[in-house]
Amino acid sequence: MAQKTSKKINHPSKAASTEQLPSAEKAIIHILGESPMVEEFAAVCMANGYEVYITLNEGAFQNSERASQFNVTNAINPKTAIGIELTNTALARKKQNLELLAHTLADTAPIISSSVVITATAQSAWIAGKHRLVGIAALPSLLEKPLLEVAPTIYSPKETVDAVSRFFQTLHQQIEIVQDRVGMVLPRILCQIINEAVFAVMDEIASPQDIDTAVTLGMNFPFGPIEWADRIGIQQVFAVVQALHQDLQEERYRPAPLLRQMAATGAWWK
Amino acid sequence: MSHIVKHLGIVGAGTMGTAIAKLAILNGVEVLLYDINETILRRGIERMKAEFRHSVQQEKMKPEESIAALDLLKTRTALSDIGHCDLILETVVEDLRVKQDLLKHLDANARPTTILATGTVTFSIASVATYVKIPERIIGLHFFQPVETTQLVEIIRGNRTQAGVVEIASSFAAALQKKPLLVQDTPGFLVTRTAFPFYSEALRLLGEHVADAEQIDRITKTIGGFSTGPFESLDRRGLDSFLTVAKSLYEQTYHEPRFRPQPLLKSMVDAGLLGKKSGKGFYTYEEEL
Repeated sequence: MAQKTSKKINHPSKAASTEQLPSAEKAIIHILGESPMVEEFAAVCMANGYEVYITLNEGAFQNSERASQFNVTNAINPKTAIGIELTNTALARKKQNLELLAHTLADTAPIISSSVVITATAQSAWIAGKHRLVGIAALPSLLEKPLLEVAPTIYSPKETVDAVSRFFQTLHQQIEIVQDRVGMVLPRILCQIINEAVFAVMDEIASPQDIDTAVTLGMNFPFGPIEWADRIGIQQVFAVVQALHQDLQEERYRPAPLLRQMAATGAWWK
Repeated sequence: MSHIVKHLGIVGAGTMGTAIAKLAILNGVEVLLYDINETILRRGIERMKAEFRHSVQQEKMKPEESIAALDLLKTRTALSDIGHCDLILETVVEDLRVKQDLLKHLDANARPTTILATGTVTFSIASVATYVKIPERIIGLHFFQPVETTQLVEIIRGNRTQAGVVEIASSFAAALQKKPLLVQDTPGFLVTRTAFPFYSEALRLLGEHVADAEQIDRITKTIGGFSTGPFESLDRRGLDSFLTVAKSLYEQTYHEPRFRPQPLLKSMVDAGLLGKKSGKGFYTYEEEL
């Protein structure tokens, strides 16, 4: 008797196609923003031949060994090919960083900015030459993956998006073009899972450890929500949930009070 | 009350009931699988036999092991025939009235020492046990799909469940090579509640056209490291099943906005787009010989 099976029909991918890769040799990249995202993405760029300079919001590295691995500077070279801004928890500082990049870089140099707590379109209103800006879903531990979410603004011309796409190809990273919305895709899903887990802890439904056990063993998730938050950083998670709540004005995005408290104190269970 | 479950009664020969029956017989437990519908019962058994044959062909199982396991499985179409089991687990449709009536009937007809377990995903154990006379023997046993590979079983203690019943249910789960996790009797218990945003936010993102279903699946898998994307998972699980769970969770939490079902999901279910089982959900599936 013939056995019936079913198969999934795949539709054409919206991921950017791999065209001719530009040369990374000697091209300068400047990354500003929060640790550890800046170092994580700097390491990816350096591994692919770029000359990388970083500016940390937190100032210099405390650890001298760490400092020796990166070119840390507050000065931005006007010949920088691409500027990258990775700040999620301090919007005033993010604005300063973007203004500095826009002021210093050539009018043709793309600026890639984390847009998980504020849309890239809203950020583009802060700078001159708004056509240069493109958003990216940046959270700690997500920037080293082979795929990245990219959100063009309403002002981004095709040329800017193409240039950004080619840049990520040189890093061996594919992109998914998604709409320019707060939280984008994965940060929104992950941070809501974590927020729900914190509500469950508050309601004394289970211990943080049991929540991770339950979700990893019961749902085959790669990590439990408590471990996810540990990897991403509790302030980052809170910033995303709070931004979703402010942007969408819906009760379902209200941050768990315990999440707010823990973000304020920097406390977490691991 | 016996401390070991040697005889297991399962009510409902659907996907979940059959999968748990298979797991139990593979671990040496005698199973009486009940369903009112003989066709469903026959189909369930045939599916299981086909799986065993496949395992034997793949040399994952010896022929004698397959025969020994199937010898432990019997089918029944009268509820009174399973009343002597050590534990009876219901896996019927997620409908409170249906579960309440079933447990009431089992309570009246099973041995007083038989543990009655419900496989509810969202209803509180207390509400399912409303009409039983011995609520101390009612417990929740929540297995997850796919039963064979998912390691966890949630053990839900009702507010009147005896401590000894919790102990036996936990030992039973461990005897099936699963990790028992005792959770509180709250809507969605622990896993369904905590994992809910994985699906609900994905549906919201799709409804708001932030990205399409394939993109969201690719992003969650490639960047997030999830083994399946939310839409692949919903298609596999059945959109109607998920909608039932979502509606129940929303009701049980007195309309907590975080658990509000998505209109998109309802419109798809209304249109008969139920996922893999109907040939189309978020993806299209074609039958092949």
